[in-house]
Amino acid sequence: MKRLSGLHYISNRVLLMGGVVFGLFLAQSILLLVLFFQEKASFWLPILHLALFFGGVAAFLFWIVHPYFRAEQLARRFLDGYILDSKQNLQMALLTPSSKEQWEAVERVLHSPQIMELNKRQAQYLALQNQINPHFLYNTLESIRGEALIAGLDGVADMTEALAKFFRYTITKVENLVSVEEELDNCETYFRIQKYRFGDRLMLHVEYETEEFEEIMSCRIPKLTLQPILENSIIHGTEPKVGTGNLKIRFERTDSRLIIRISDDGIGMDDETLARLNRRLGRDGKTLEYHREPEKGGIALVNVNNRIHLIFGEEYGMHVYSMAGAGTDVEITVPTDLDEEEIRRRGIL
Amino acid sequence: MRREIFRMERVTCIEQGITQLEDFNLQIYEGEIMGLLLINAYGAQAFLRLLGSNLPLYDGYIYYGGTMINSWRSFGKGYNRISIVQTQSSLAEGLTVSDNVFVIRRGFRQRIIRPALLQRQLEPFLEEIGMEISADMYVEKLTAFERVVVEILRAVILGHRLIVLCEISTIINGAELEKLHEIIRHYASQGISFLYISLHYEEVFQICDRTSLFAHGRIQKVSRKPEMEADARRFYCGEYPQMVQGRLEQIQKVSRERKEILFFDGISCDSLKNLTFGVREGECLVVQSLREGVFQKLVGLLVGEEEVTGGKVRMEGRQVRFRNNKKIAVLRGEPTKTMLFPELNNMDNLCFGLSRRMPRVWSSRKLRDSIRQEYRKELGEEFFSLYPDQLSERQKCRLVYTRILLQRPRVVFCIQPFRGADLPHRMFIWQMLKMLLDKNIAVVILAVNLADSMSLAERLLRVSASGVEEEIDRSAFGMLPPTVPWNYLYQEEGIQNLEEEKDPPWPSAR
Repeated sequence: MKRLSGLHYISNRVLLMGGVVFGLFLAQSILLLVLFFQEKASFWLPILHLALFFGGVAAFLFWIVHPYFRAEQLARRFLDGYILDSKQNLQMALLTPSSKEQWEAVERVLHSPQIMELNKRQAQYLALQNQINPHFLYNTLESIRGEALIAGLDGVADMTEALAKFFRYTITKVENLVSVEEELDNCETYFRIQKYRFGDRLMLHVEYETEEFEEIMSCRIPKLTLQPILENSIIHGTEPKVGTGNLKIRFERTDSRLIIRISDDGIGMDDETLARLNRRLGRDGKTLEYHREPEKGGIALVNVNNRIHLIFGEEYGMHVYSMAGAGTDVEITVPTDLDEEEIRRRGIL
Repeated sequence: MRREIFRMERVTCIEQGITQLEDFNLQIYEGEIMGLLLINAYGAQAFLRLLGSNLPLYDGYIYYGGTMINSWRSFGKGYNRISIVQTQSSLAEGLTVSDNVFVIRRGFRQRIIRPALLQRQLEPFLEEIGMEISADMYVEKLTAFERVVVEILRAVILGHRLIVLCEISTIINGAELEKLHEIIRHYASQGISFLYISLHYEEVFQICDRTSLFAHGRIQKVSRKPEMEADARRFYCGEYPQMVQGRLEQIQKVSRERKEILFFDGISCDSLKNLTFGVREGECLVVQSLREGVFQKLVGLLVGEEEVTGGKVRMEGRQVRFRNNKKIAVLRGEPTKTMLFPELNNMDNLCFGLSRRMPRVWSSRKLRDSIRQEYRKELGEEFFSLYPDQLSERQKCRLVYTRILLQRPRVVFCIQPFRGADLPHRMFIWQMLKMLLDKNIAVVILAVNLADSMSLAERLLRVSASGVEEEIDRSAFGMLPPTVPWNYLYQEEGIQNLEEEKDPPWPSAR
């Protein structure tokens, strides 16, 4: 009954019809074969029939069934939260001329510059929480710094300077892609501010191969990639932990990728939370799954990951490793060689 | 700049509707020895299958040497140039070493095989790693260690850039493992990458540059050398070390005046001579074989495949026969596969243990009801009417141990009880063995690799073809190689310092 009830789907009817046609064809071939053995038909007729039968089955399998299942798989993946991101994928998902147009429309929406802008804005909001008039803010901070220096409060002056620098980078700098050096500098500024709060309870280590320093620092990554993750590591990793919290940013370069690993030795997370987080990172946050299941936490990570996917493609992105009580590592992968033309075309810069 | 040899990027693999690997990330660099520490083995087989051949993926990408070899977009084709060395041999039996290395490979086009030439070609490779293996020896005559080395050599000669070694330490002893590590380091220095899969972190740390912790079909954490021990200790600072610590404290309290119940007096067979040792009641004794051949002989003796040519077995002073002795039980290797009868239900399987002591168990319903009554709480009501195939691995394991318990033996010989078991299963087996010890049953563990056995043991015997070579008392376990699990606990100070080690220091950074 269950099998029959699936017949209201046209795809099932096509498969059923195909099966029936080939079944009849096979029956006819066997009949001709029987007639041949009874010497009532020529030898070539059943052979021709059988050849046509096997040829037809092969064509049906490779030309219709296989592409159909690929299209079905792609549609299923899309519903599971994965995204179709290239023309090659779209070609695999085509059933009818209108379905082609449907998928192209979906792709246009998901890869529009507006989406990119939206993600960038979201990152800024996450960093600032509220939108503040930047010039008013810088001027005020400079005034506070001046007052602090006059009063001999070097600590306050330094903190104010760091805060002004951090805001200037976060708000004023408008590019989507920045150098690793700039991003790392912003992280150090952010850490300087946090140090006033945590004191010696918080340590930052930066690691890289010395001979690769120049190459690594000149690589380009999306703006506000590292700082939100560093912030996450402090808030969710080391802050709840008793004792000194250590943060580490490690850069590694391979022949085609830059791997950035931000680690903390904080409280980590349990298996279930980790699996859920990586699942969200694996599927793009803006797809159906995302809208269906609004989840708390990890928004900063998902946001950074989305921007990396949008700029560099889905082969790059972010992955989280963690164990309860053993800290968390966030691994970011970006390409070292950028296709400048493609980036310009999509308005990423 | 490091060159990536192998990379799995966000791989999700679903087999028959069951997710085997989820968002699986792994990268291995050129010349790197990458460890894969199995916290639990769920998904490990699917992972190995994916390494060997390009099976369909639900999501993700797999790269080898910088080229995408499999992805969710396309059904993968063919086999990968990755060698997987496992506990089971992948060499073709009935052929010689040189045939396996040179002849059975793609691109070998000679129509006439010249063994002498192949032998000469193999020699430099063997010399390079300091091994003496006859090239014209049939592979079935090789020891486990030699077989592993030949498989590695074959991979090197085939030009495979990644060699996967899966739980090799379960089939070779400590000295051979050290030699194997030397060979791995040698080839790693030549740019060949290794993925070293093991169940024991002590072993992985000795050899690997980085280690990935594998659990539930996902990589939970990747640790670099300075962080490895700290990360794994943090993970292992759970129930298991506490169990081990409790056992060590229990051993310390036990008086040394226990009665010797079984004594092997100069037992000999074929190539094993003059095996003499005794075991006390409630004692756990580990017998480590220093040579693979000796281990096979010992196993043969226990399961009745080897004929005893000399010596006596004494139980509480009286000479007894070893075979079919109801006071002696033998727990075979992989007991859930080798000791259960799938066509009998669990109750009948249980009764097998009792039938030697009480032959009327098959006909007496009352007796069977009393067994049901006794074990209902632990095993569950429906357990008795089910069949072994309907049980989980853990339930099967419990069935085997309960059967042994029903036999009420004085001594249980266990053949590599922890072999191939992941952490939760090892803990369970450990508890089962401890249950036997708590019932004052002596446990003799036969092992090649010491692994978890040592955490139960009170004595270690090292056996070679000429008998017992060395006897090590528990107080000297701290002197064993660092690859032995729980070594830090065996040292007296280790027990006291366990709490302090829960929060190891963060490794020094630049």
